[in-house]
Amino acid sequence: MTRFNARVAVAGVGLRQYKRAQAPLPERGVLVRAIVDACEDAGFDPADVDGFVAYGDDKNEPVRLMSDLGTKELCWSSQVWGGGGGGIAAAFGNAAAAIASGQANAVIVFRTLVQNVSGRLSGAVMAHHLNDHLLGAGLISPAQPCALRAQRMFEHHKVPLSVTEELVRASYYHGARNPHAVSYGKELDLDAYRTARWIAEPFRLFDCSRENDGAGALLLVSAERARDLKKKPVHLVGVAQGAGKGWGDLLENDDDYASAGFASVARRLWAQTGLTPADIDCAQLYENFSAQGIASLIDHGFCTYENVAEFVRFENLIAPNGKLPINTAGGNFAEGFIHGIGMAVEAVRQLRGESANPVPGARTCLLAGGPGAPTVSSAIFSNDIIV
Amino acid sequence: MSEADFTVRPTTGADGPYWRALAEGRVELPRCAGCGRWHWPAVFRCGECGSWDQQWHAIEARGTVFSWTRTWHAFDGSEKIGVPFISLIVELPQCGGRRLLGLLEGDADGLRIGAKVHARVAATEIWGERIPALSWTLSGETA
Repeated sequence: MTRFNARVAVAGVGLRQYKRAQAPLPERGVLVRAIVDACEDAGFDPADVDGFVAYGDDKNEPVRLMSDLGTKELCWSSQVWGGGGGGIAAAFGNAAAAIASGQANAVIVFRTLVQNVSGRLSGAVMAHHLNDHLLGAGLISPAQPCALRAQRMFEHHKVPLSVTEELVRASYYHGARNPHAVSYGKELDLDAYRTARWIAEPFRLFDCSRENDGAGALLLVSAERARDLKKKPVHLVGVAQGAGKGWGDLLENDDDYASAGFASVARRLWAQTGLTPADIDCAQLYENFSAQGIASLIDHGFCTYENVAEFVRFENLIAPNGKLPINTAGGNFAEGFIHGIGMAVEAVRQLRGESANPVPGARTCLLAGGPGAPTVSSAIFSNDIIV
Repeated sequence: MSEADFTVRPTTGADGPYWRALAEGRVELPRCAGCGRWHWPAVFRCGECGSWDQQWHAIEARGTVFSWTRTWHAFDGSEKIGVPFISLIVELPQCGGRRLLGLLEGDADGLRIGAKVHARVAATEIWGERIPALSWTLSGETA
């Protein structure tokens, strides 16, 4: 068992989110802001950060941040492979591996996206995966391969279409109650959801995540060091990344095609931590598209194709009393979308008791990365030492 | 149809023969000479039996719809296709269930997972490039 628990913790978080094209600074400036925010949150000198990890083809090479941060020495600089959000949790695994093995002491996990530099997120993600096989079939945007998987899930595996509405409603319920969310104060209009314009069947507009400008940063240090910092440490209990055999960048030839690709990652995550879905108090469930959020829940073992409608009910998914409150800041649908980094920040805030939608007594939070991506990853965080 | 009608771009993978055949109007897929497995995407080496001998075979472009989506949003680059359009994944039982992609042309009545389809080689124009692609038609019978 390679449990990171009690060895590595998140000590600080920073999130700067803006409406598209409204960031007050160029991309790297926004990132520096978020990193300094994370350090101030922890009471930690930014100059002492000695490692950085990103994912999703972030364009900001860490060495370029050194002058702004006053970095004394850069000891760890890496990025998780993959164009999508599948690598988000794996980034924490990279950071923890660096700290646990003594290669770095204080590592920032970050993601930045300001569209006048990096372009539209959907385009950037797809550019990583595009080839002429996909283009020849008119598949240009991530929505379309995800729609193909979703159609298979609904039509072949008989998952009721209604479950996506339950999931989207839960994200909007939390977003409406989070002053930092793009959708703050706005409940999801169900009629608008059901009649919104089609993007790619079976997805309508509100089945798709938003796109925002901004940056998020999380500071990881050893658990021992975290105890002396300003905020209550949030431990990384476990993390797994990768793909099982028969899953990957396979021109839509994946086995278990309608899934989100987490079968092997989830199996390793549960085995590594000794936890089960029943031990998870809340989840930040990356939803690029509604059906992929559902598939992610199924892959992680919270429900099955057969009983998904019993589990994925609005009341079950909302704070404070749902069985598994998800996306308690609003998620990629309603809080905003900087390639999912806001979900990692919310996992930490939730476990510190700082969430706008607190889950009373929550000890564990699952961060499930971008579903349907060739390389996926998941992590479990806790405010407690789970032995 | 001749190769000149298409843009056949370099590939980093093992699928070069697929594109050359497609540009000449044929569909070819690779089968491992070592163990008989159809590989798609194409491989240089069979990860199952270790053989480097991958043989390309002309196949009949017929199969069943594995999944489909009708795109309504005019994503950048798709202007020449025109929305709405339907993208298909087609399962080829004659090739070990490997799947190919393409657009659906003609009547969409009866489109569902399991529907039988057949294809011709056509060009899909994206971002000004004419990419050789399969254009599928519903065969009017279901599996």
